[in-house]
Amino acid sequence: MRQYSSLRRNLTGYAFISPFIIGFLGFTLIPMFVSLYMSFTSYNLFTSPRWIGLDNYTKMFFDDPKYWNSVKVTFLYVFIGVPLRLIFALFVAMILNTGSRMVGTYRTLYYLPSIIGGSVAVSIMWRNLFSNEGVINSALTAIGIGPISWFGDPNASLVMLISLSVWQFGSSMLIFLAGLKNISPEMYEAAGVDGANPIRKFFGITLPLLSPIILFNLIMQTIGAFMTFVPAYIISKGEGGPMDGTMLYSLYLFRQAFMFNNMGYASAMAWIMLIMIGILTVAVFLTSKFWVFYESEGGK
Amino acid sequence: MVKKAIFLVMAALLVLTTACSSSGGSGETSGDGSVTLRIAWWGSDSRHEYTQKVIDLYKEKNPNVKIDVEYASFDDYWKKLAPQAAANQLPDIVQMDISYISQYAQNGQLEDLSPYLGNQIKVDDVSENVISTGIINSKQYGVPAGVNVLGFQYDPALLKKAGVDAIPENMTWESYEELGKQTAAKGLFLDGGVAPDIFFHYFLRTKGLSLYNAEGTGLGYDDDKLFVEFFGLMRRMIEQGAAPSPDVANQTKGIIEESDLVKEKGIGVWQWSNQFVALQQVANRPLAFAPMPGPDMEKGLYMQPSMYWAVTSNSKVKEEAAKFIDFWVNDVEANKLIKGERGVPISGKIKEAIAPELSDATKQVFDFVASMEPKASPMSPPPPVGSPEVIASLADVVEELNFGKVTPEQAAATFRKNAEAVLANNK
Repeated sequence: MRQYSSLRRNLTGYAFISPFIIGFLGFTLIPMFVSLYMSFTSYNLFTSPRWIGLDNYTKMFFDDPKYWNSVKVTFLYVFIGVPLRLIFALFVAMILNTGSRMVGTYRTLYYLPSIIGGSVAVSIMWRNLFSNEGVINSALTAIGIGPISWFGDPNASLVMLISLSVWQFGSSMLIFLAGLKNISPEMYEAAGVDGANPIRKFFGITLPLLSPIILFNLIMQTIGAFMTFVPAYIISKGEGGPMDGTMLYSLYLFRQAFMFNNMGYASAMAWIMLIMIGILTVAVFLTSKFWVFYESEGGK
Repeated sequence: MVKKAIFLVMAALLVLTTACSSSGGSGETSGDGSVTLRIAWWGSDSRHEYTQKVIDLYKEKNPNVKIDVEYASFDDYWKKLAPQAAANQLPDIVQMDISYISQYAQNGQLEDLSPYLGNQIKVDDVSENVISTGIINSKQYGVPAGVNVLGFQYDPALLKKAGVDAIPENMTWESYEELGKQTAAKGLFLDGGVAPDIFFHYFLRTKGLSLYNAEGTGLGYDDDKLFVEFFGLMRRMIEQGAAPSPDVANQTKGIIEESDLVKEKGIGVWQWSNQFVALQQVANRPLAFAPMPGPDMEKGLYMQPSMYWAVTSNSKVKEEAAKFIDFWVNDVEANKLIKGERGVPISGKIKEAIAPELSDATKQVFDFVASMEPKASPMSPPPPVGSPEVIASLADVVEELNFGKVTPEQAAATFRKNAEAVLANNK
């Protein structure tokens, strides 16, 4: 009898969370496995999928220079963009932590780009800022460096894309700010009594105590950066140009799927991306024991 | 009790899953004789506005017809259409682009309109060269909504400033290059660079060839020297300063306001005739047309449907759909609203009837198209399945070539390898 009623109670619970479960099954889990199946087929949306075994994967690895180019561009974007973004976020967080006037307003303002972050509107704004007669080029001309062809030069266009990602530092900044607030002022006072200068305080106290938060930010931002799509799509008008300089992995995947209708190939790309992100995340976790410091462990 | 709960959950599941699939049934005739048509197109805001007006006019004249509309930008349109096609839920009437019509036709998504021609759709005033552009594998899968023709659109005043009185009559590629040298000497671009696929295809046609072979299983030319000849010329134009370098061109790509012609840094552009009106509007000074370079311009030139109207095979009201297409082709009042925005009307009578209503720029377009129509040859078959990928690959290699990263010979070989790999899937 007791078992029966607990089952009944659970069923009610399941009924209440069923919207999530159905959504998860219908829109996440099942599509994931369908895409795994698709990745072994040739499928163009119109005719039924045709099983081709590992052909998509062998083409990707051995016969598609554009694929490797997109991997290269994405790694550049992630490995330059994410550290810069985190350093910048920490820098701003520390300034905002000093408690000067109107600090609340500044926090809000700096966070704003993240709320609208990744959106189409921001990307269009970025495009305008960097256009031929945009603000950036006018400023550069004024100090005599001359206009740079941001959309024409393959290297410059990636710099522009990274700068957009650095500018959207708000969410990591807020998390850093919360972490900074958690460091007790007594530590700094004690260090001050011992004669530590601000630089020593930063490396001796702030960084170690913040390291769990850095780890969190690093992983979340890296995963996010790998999946960046909207800015590259809008800024390059969906073409990833010039010379594939802004052809991020997800943009190339999108082009294969929705412009060339190579759904099978795109599915294979998606799975490799999942594996790459997985490996990278595990690697960061493995290194973390050398540099992340948890107070509760009493200094390791 | 348990059974009841399970039943409830299962019922809820069923409702949720079927709710997604039951909507969107296309084209029903209901009991009271009223018909609902679904129609989809892509375009700009101004196109959406007048298209809606044309549809309202049609509904006024046919009170039994209801029309549901779906419209989007070009990119989004195809992303919406592909899943609808996969689910057999396409609208009754779809606007088709030349680069996609083969794919939709060959996959059985479109209806052969031949039985409707002359019945529901009157084509007495349409030239054979024009209506035949909708034929794929001897079936009429599309009716052109209007036609375009390639030409040089330029600023005569600026050309004079460069010390040239007029575009040479019967221009050849050599005189075109010479002209480029003259304008470059005055610091002016002759043209803004060309869309590689369109103009290389034109160039091949002048040699009696085509970009794709007739079956769509490979390229339509065997000699890579032709690639080298054409794109070598284009690169020389850039090197001489007669066309913008790719980094400059990329910066302004797709923005008419920033184009060289509008900024009086460039004399003209090679493009489709329907693009003239917008260019003229932004430039806000008199512009003119000149024909394509030769030799054998007549062989290369063709009337291209700006887009097609097509009826889908999953439509349940194909006759009604055909009647709407007829309205588009033959109704004077409707065409006074359209004003040739989807290309010059295909019916000769309509062209005459709406002539007094046109703006000066549109009139220029109509005149140019009329002067080219007798010279044009039949169009090559619409591009085969996979052509968007082939065109993207061509754009890539041409960009590398124009940046000077590869030689024309290397570019020709790379393009052939990539294109043949894609087109081999059609075998």
